[in-house]
Amino acid sequence: MSQNQGYFTLKLITAISFIFCAFNSASHACNTKIGAVLPTSVDWGRPIAETAQFVVDQVNESGGVSGCNVEMILRDTQVDPKVGVDAAKALVDLDGVQLLIGAVSSGVSMPILTSVSVPSNVMQMSCCSSSTAFSKLAEEGGTNGLWYRTFATTGVQAAVGAKVAMDNGFKTVAILYKNDDWGQDLNRLISRDFSSLGIKVTNAVAINDGQPSYKAEVTSALSGNPDALYLGLYPDEGTAAVREWLSLGGTKNMIMANSLKSDDFRENVGMQYLNNAFGTDTASPRVASADAFVNLYKERFGKAPSGPGLANSYDATMIALLAMEAAGSNATGSEIAAQVSRVTDPAGTPITADVNGFASARNILASGGSVMYQGATGNVRFDEKGDVSAPAVVWKFTDGGTEEVEYMSLTQVDDFIASLN
Amino acid sequence: MIQHLIDGILIGSVLSLGAAGLTMIMHILRFANFSHAELLSIGAYAALVFDQIFKAVEPFFSEQIGAFSITWALFLAMFFSLVLTGASAVLFDFLVFRRIREKGDELSMVFASFGLALIIRNLIGLSFGLSTQLYSKDIVFATVFSRDPLIAFKLDHLATLSITLVIMLAIHLVLSRTNFGYSLRAVGENPELAQINGIDLKRTIIMVWFLGGGLAAFAGVFYGLTNQITPMIGSDLVLPVFAATIVGGIGSIYGALLGGFIVGVAANVALIILPSGYSPSVPFLIIIVVLLIRPNGLFGESRI
Repeated sequence: MSQNQGYFTLKLITAISFIFCAFNSASHACNTKIGAVLPTSVDWGRPIAETAQFVVDQVNESGGVSGCNVEMILRDTQVDPKVGVDAAKALVDLDGVQLLIGAVSSGVSMPILTSVSVPSNVMQMSCCSSSTAFSKLAEEGGTNGLWYRTFATTGVQAAVGAKVAMDNGFKTVAILYKNDDWGQDLNRLISRDFSSLGIKVTNAVAINDGQPSYKAEVTSALSGNPDALYLGLYPDEGTAAVREWLSLGGTKNMIMANSLKSDDFRENVGMQYLNNAFGTDTASPRVASADAFVNLYKERFGKAPSGPGLANSYDATMIALLAMEAAGSNATGSEIAAQVSRVTDPAGTPITADVNGFASARNILASGGSVMYQGATGNVRFDEKGDVSAPAVVWKFTDGGTEEVEYMSLTQVDDFIASLN
Repeated sequence: MIQHLIDGILIGSVLSLGAAGLTMIMHILRFANFSHAELLSIGAYAALVFDQIFKAVEPFFSEQIGAFSITWALFLAMFFSLVLTGASAVLFDFLVFRRIREKGDELSMVFASFGLALIIRNLIGLSFGLSTQLYSKDIVFATVFSRDPLIAFKLDHLATLSITLVIMLAIHLVLSRTNFGYSLRAVGENPELAQINGIDLKRTIIMVWFLGGGLAAFAGVFYGLTNQITPMIGSDLVLPVFAATIVGGIGSIYGALLGGFIVGVAANVALIILPSGYSPSVPFLIIIVVLLIRPNGLFGESRI
């Protein structure tokens, strides 16, 4: 009897293992992990992460990377450098990822790059960090070629912000900027651009987050009675500072960086005070591949992509996965990073940014060819520092969101920046 | 300069109320309670909830009181929040601190308070979200008396400042005229002797927590009213509140009340000399300077 039972158990185990094998071969034979460090706990961060996951789903649908299913492990940065570095370190050390997508803020991406990605030789691709500190680090050789970003540097936004002030005839401007890598960089660039246009900066005041009150900072900015206020802030402290500014009788002429393109900010400050507030942002070029992304996004999420960095997040993830495909299985971070130029090659075969595009890229790359990625932000091309340039828009808040006031093409942006220097 | 002074006094009133509660607890229970500032968050959010409920129940409550932006609903909510925050302070003592007091030492209490602060902060974040909330989205314009130099303040600020002063007077009367005040001071001086003289130690401790929580609730609502409400209120205010307590001298309620104003004014006026990027360092500097010059604070007594 007991012998019989043992035989039965053996059969059962065999049957179960057969079922498991069948399941495994039905999907992919293996699993490749990639890491994402994004601020999912803030309202504008979640869609960026969802867009990245959308790309991963499409790549898996087309057959994965090197025949493996891609699993994106997403961790929250809370827009906090400490939390971000912890998250990235865990992804690299515990999950063994060779590719990090993120982060959003330059102040978070920078410590991740210098203390996690570069020491561990992991490729880092950011959708949204725009500080010129990265370009400087790359020039000094500090990034080891592991760093790429699909977001144009702060230089573009600063120049367009200065142009808005010029076009509106503002003669004096006060600046409130976030006291982190991004904000300090933005302040430095836009102060320079203002002065080369003959606009006087009355006061540039740093805003630290987590302060009990911003009264003192706002009071300092008010002295000198500027024509306009430039805001290089995030929605949380931006709301507090702008409400304080308005209540003390500050001007409603405002110029905002793209970080304030937030529904929370609009609602908490109030539309009635934002009629003369102009925002700046980098934009997708007006090309077919950008429209294709908008349609794909609508199909998946049921609404148009409206938050900051969505198209950039899409391209960042797609290019990183293409490079991973080009590098072959079990590639290290630097091997993947080295393949980025091969998938964004202006002389390569054009491919679309979707399931079919990834599949055809796979065939071309396997036969040793190169491809030109045509994505949500156009034909992405990185320079030797891992930077991209971009067209720009000027926008305003409306009752339901934002509307475009002016579009500047890539050449217009480049010409204007050249005229400043 | 003048405006910085005014701003400092206004934020000082919030710090004073927070510090008064903290110093009582530090005096009686002899541990640095790092979760005290979270009671301000609880107070601010509790008032937000009650405010919404009252407005929904009775439209009259949505009306503003006179020229202030404070509605009747919020005014009422403040007192409900006081009770709720006071009760949660008592509850935290019952759940955490009382148990550790019986078994562990003061250092364990300090660590426990760190943990409790994190738990409260994240629970608030989970239930209300991390984004900014406001009692009223309308911007209250300040009355500008002079543009250069800038002198301006809001009626709301005047209201919060006067309520703070009234509360301070009430605290003073309670401490100097009532049995509870005497027993509070007696327990602070020597718990054993106080018990021998017939003071109910447990009751006094519960009252101290409740009172500390209630003061924190007012501070939280005032902060939310003049700034904004986020789950980070506690972590943003913990240092300035501690600085105010230390400046005033641990155990001295009058010292804490004054300390709040000193820290508020110093932090604001410092920005005239310091670049604003250094503003987070000001509370630390104040703590260091006070500890160097008067280790027991302005009104504190040395303890054996």
